[in-house]
Amino acid sequence: MLKFAGIHKAFGRIVAVDGLSLEVQQGEIFGLLGPNGAGKSTCVHIAVGLIEPDSGSVTVAGLGSPKIPEVRARIGVAPQMVSLYGPLSGTENLAFFGRMYGLAGRRLADRIGSALEFVGLTDRKGDLVRNYSGGMKRRLNLAAAILHEPELILLDEPTIGVDPQSRNSIFENILDLKKRGRTIVYTTHYMEEAERLCDHVGIMDHGKMLALDTVPGLLASHGGRPTLVTEISGKEVRMETSDPLAELNRLATSGPIGNFRVERTTLEQVFLNLTGRDLRE
Amino acid sequence: MRAILALAQKDLLILVRLRSGIFFTIVWPLLIAIFFGLIFSGANEPSAKIGIAVVDEDRSPAAGEFIAKLETSKEFEVIRADRDQATKLVRQGKRIAAIMLPPGFGEASGRIFYGTPRRLEVWIDPSRRAESAMISGLLFKQAAEDMQKVMSDRSSSRNMVRKAMTDLNSAPDTDETKGTVRRFLGELDHFLDTAPSGSSGQQATAQWQPLEIQEKPVTSGSRGSQPDNSFDITFPQGILWGIIGCVMTFGIGIVSERTQGTLVRLQMSPISHRDLLAGKALACFAAIAVVQVALFLLGRFFFQVRPSSWLLLILAGLSIAIAFVGIMMLIAALGKTEQAAAGAGWAVMMPIAMFGGGMVPLFVMPAWMSTAGNFSPAKWAILALEGAIWRGFSFQEMLLPCGILVLVGIVCFAVGTRAFRPAA
Repeated sequence: MLKFAGIHKAFGRIVAVDGLSLEVQQGEIFGLLGPNGAGKSTCVHIAVGLIEPDSGSVTVAGLGSPKIPEVRARIGVAPQMVSLYGPLSGTENLAFFGRMYGLAGRRLADRIGSALEFVGLTDRKGDLVRNYSGGMKRRLNLAAAILHEPELILLDEPTIGVDPQSRNSIFENILDLKKRGRTIVYTTHYMEEAERLCDHVGIMDHGKMLALDTVPGLLASHGGRPTLVTEISGKEVRMETSDPLAELNRLATSGPIGNFRVERTTLEQVFLNLTGRDLRE
Repeated sequence: MRAILALAQKDLLILVRLRSGIFFTIVWPLLIAIFFGLIFSGANEPSAKIGIAVVDEDRSPAAGEFIAKLETSKEFEVIRADRDQATKLVRQGKRIAAIMLPPGFGEASGRIFYGTPRRLEVWIDPSRRAESAMISGLLFKQAAEDMQKVMSDRSSSRNMVRKAMTDLNSAPDTDETKGTVRRFLGELDHFLDTAPSGSSGQQATAQWQPLEIQEKPVTSGSRGSQPDNSFDITFPQGILWGIIGCVMTFGIGIVSERTQGTLVRLQMSPISHRDLLAGKALACFAAIAVVQVALFLLGRFFFQVRPSSWLLLILAGLSIAIAFVGIMMLIAALGKTEQAAAGAGWAVMMPIAMFGGGMVPLFVMPAWMSTAGNFSPAKWAILALEGAIWRGFSFQEMLLPCGILVLVGIVCFAVGTRAFRPAA
């Protein structure tokens, strides 16, 4: 659905994307994970044709560059910044953005109704957006992205500044979209979001793709072994092991164990292992 | 085209929802038009008389007559006072000037041809220098009317001549002009004795009238007259301020779209950059047109502002809209933030309005400012509106201001769109 081939983009002396290649399959959720400034948003802007790469090519749905309006019409974007008009109501915002994608008349009205229902804002559709809460604005931001039923949906950090309830609601929406066969590119610097939602995850830093795989694949290849944490004679003992159960049995034969737990590796650990620093640094 | 219309519709809806937008595009311009209209219309009313204090230190019948005329004149509002009171009133700003008739005023009133003339003292408020020349002119006018009256009456004239002869005879012999004046007065006395009685009436009046002024308004067209009222002049100014309000609102609005991220979203949609700018331009054009129509209709129905030509008024309105859409685009390109755009916008618009006659009429300005006004689109906008409302311009005469406005619009739009930075 989306193919980056050798993309390179620099802003002056700052290299935002450095030789990036990836392929996002139809119907999957692809996570771009990385700290702020890693180049995730630049990738989204390149994917939608907003920024022209210095070199390399982008292909959407096998049709060509997103610079082509017809290709771009197949993409829906929820920008990182909530991009809505405060003095307009939820319905008026969606009506406007729908018309930008060629929707009109009955179809536009139907799609507005569906999108509002999808994000749970039907009862607030007539309110001015400036009176919405942060979470409601984020949900409407998402509704505007899916209004025209795009095949490819680019969600650029869609949960920034959102309360836990709205965050869960957005997660459910995204998983629902996946069920409907949509392809989603999801950028985030929250590893737990990537772990929960994404089929494939690409870890970026300084414009480079450090690793790209399924979440279990990344954990296996870059996360290191799980850590067995035990309490023996009142002291905490930590040890990395590929088989925590066997190690626990071995320890139990040598004396009583007060308490124990197994710490699985996370994408945070993967990032740390790949870059030598924390994801949120 | 649908997308362009949707963009324009959205911007107009936002403009209507923004109270500040409505205030600066309709309410404020209307207030300006009405306020200045009322001020200028008041110029012909009694309250617009020049307030003076008059001090009669001569107390002669001639002085009393002079003051009585001042009191009945339509130009002055007179109160009588003594010297101290009069100067105090001027110092306190309660009177613009104090006019003193010193001792000897009445005696000198009979002297025209020889000897010391009548003398007045005018004490003026230093902050009202502008009225000083006007007061002097009005006093000279009254003196000329007195002289006209005397010279129109044969017996008064003869008395005046004989008094002059008496004064001349008592003058020292060193006066070299004495002989010449005596001969002139003798001839004049003889003329007054022998002139046919029929010539002493209307003809004499005409002969002694120093200057006859006939005021004629320089206008043409269907109305064929001067402005009907002061609102004919102030509504074009008000309309200009409404347009400036539109320009600022839309110029800053485009920058807001950039800072608030909606411009990025629009650029991510399938519409082209050209359509995006066209939508903005159309919205601004429509808003300027609506503001012009709304303000003009308010002027038409409530303040009797009527055009000499509806067609030329439409031509003027369209030209003005084109010019200021271009200027709006230039302002949008000037700032990265709303504050920067607002600052740059006012920095551009204030001189345009100031030099173009948007604040004070061009005829009040010094020559250099008036010349500088030629570089202000506001001047041509007001001229075009006035041309269509009361100046009675022909189509050919409208071509100059309208052509300049369209040219300004095209150039500014081209520069603005080239300089406009996309969001990403």
